Amino acid sequence: MSITNIKMKMNKKGGAKIISMYWFVILIIIAGGIFAMVYSFYHHPYDVRELEGEIMINHIADCLSTQGNLTSALFDEEGFSQNFSENFLENCHINLDVEEIWEGEPQYYLQINFYKSENLENSLFEISKGNLNLVADWNIQEEKEYKRTAKGVEDDFFSFNREDMYLIKILTIVKKTEKNVK
Amino acid sequence: MFKERGKKGAVLMENVVFIILNVLFLTILILFLARQGQGAIVLEQSYAKQIALLIDSAKPGMTIILDMGKAKDLAEKNNLEFKDIVKKTDNVITIRLSEKGGYSYSYFNDVDVSLYPDTSNPEKVNSYVIKINEYN
Repeated sequence: MSITNIKMKMNKKGGAKIISMYWFVILIIIAGGIFAMVYSFYHHPYDVRELEGEIMINHIADCLSTQGNLTSALFDEEGFSQNFSENFLENCHINLDVEEIWEGEPQYYLQINFYKSENLENSLFEISKGNLNLVADWNIQEEKEYKRTAKGVEDDFFSFNREDMYLIKILTIVKKTEKNVK
Repeated sequence: MFKERGKKGAVLMENVVFIILNVLFLTILILFLARQGQGAIVLEQSYAKQIALLIDSAKPGMTIILDMGKAKDLAEKNNLEFKDIVKKTDNVITIRLSEKGGYSYSYFNDVDVSLYPDTSNPEKVNSYVIKINEYN
C-alpha cells in the first residue's frame, strides 16, 4: 500500500466522523427548535376572553329580547325603566364575582345602548355595569391590539317594542389577564 | 485476512452505534412531544375553562355530558378519585388532577349547577354530568 493510499483512507474515515458529528449538531439544533416551540405553545394559557365576551353578549341579548320583541320589564309608564337598569344583573342573572386573586377588582364591564331606528346617532337609554376603567383598555385596542389589555367584544341587533324598532348595541369587556395571557 | 475482517467489523459497529443514537434521539423527541399535552397543568386549565364556558352558555334545564377521560387517567395515576377532581365554590370551577395545585376559573351565568361523574351509563364512565338547575 502506497503512502498516498493510506492518507486517502485516513481522510475518508476522518471525513465520515466529521459528517456524523455535524449530523448530531444539526439534530440538536432541530430538537432545540422543537423544544422551544412546544414549550412556548403549552406554557401559554388559552385565551378565552373573547369567547367569554361573545357568550355574555348572547346571554344579554336573550335576556333583553325574545322572538324579536324587547322584554316588557324594560319599560314602564315613562319609557325605559330605571328600575330595570339598576337591577340589571339580577334581572338578567349575571354574576360578575370572580376568583379570589381579583378580590375587589371587577374583571368585567358591560354596556348596552338603545337607539331608535330613525336616529342611530344618539342613544336613548344606557345600561352599564362592572369596571368602567376597562373601557380605556378597549379604546386602546381599537387602534392596535395589545395582548395584556382587556379584551372587548361588540355586537348589535334590532328588536321591536310594539311598533317601534330599536337598535341595541352591546359591548362586553373581559380582563382576567393573569389567567389568559402570559 | 483477519486484519481486513477487523476493519469491516469496526465500520459496521460505527454504523450500528450511529443508527442506535439516531433512533434513541428520535424516540426521546417523540416521547417529549406526546407527554407535553398530557400534563396536569395543561389539562386542569383546559377543563376548568371548558366547564366554565359551557355553564356560561347553558340555560336552566340543560344537562351537559362532558368526556373527561384524559383527566380521569391522570387523576388515577396521581391517586385521586374521579369524583373529587371537579369542585364548585360559588361561581368558580376548580379542577385538581394532582396532589398539589389545581386551576380555577369563574363563570358569570348566575345559575345553580350540579357536577358529578356519570354513573348512569356504563359506557360513559369517563364522563362528567353538568346539570343546570335554576337561576339563583
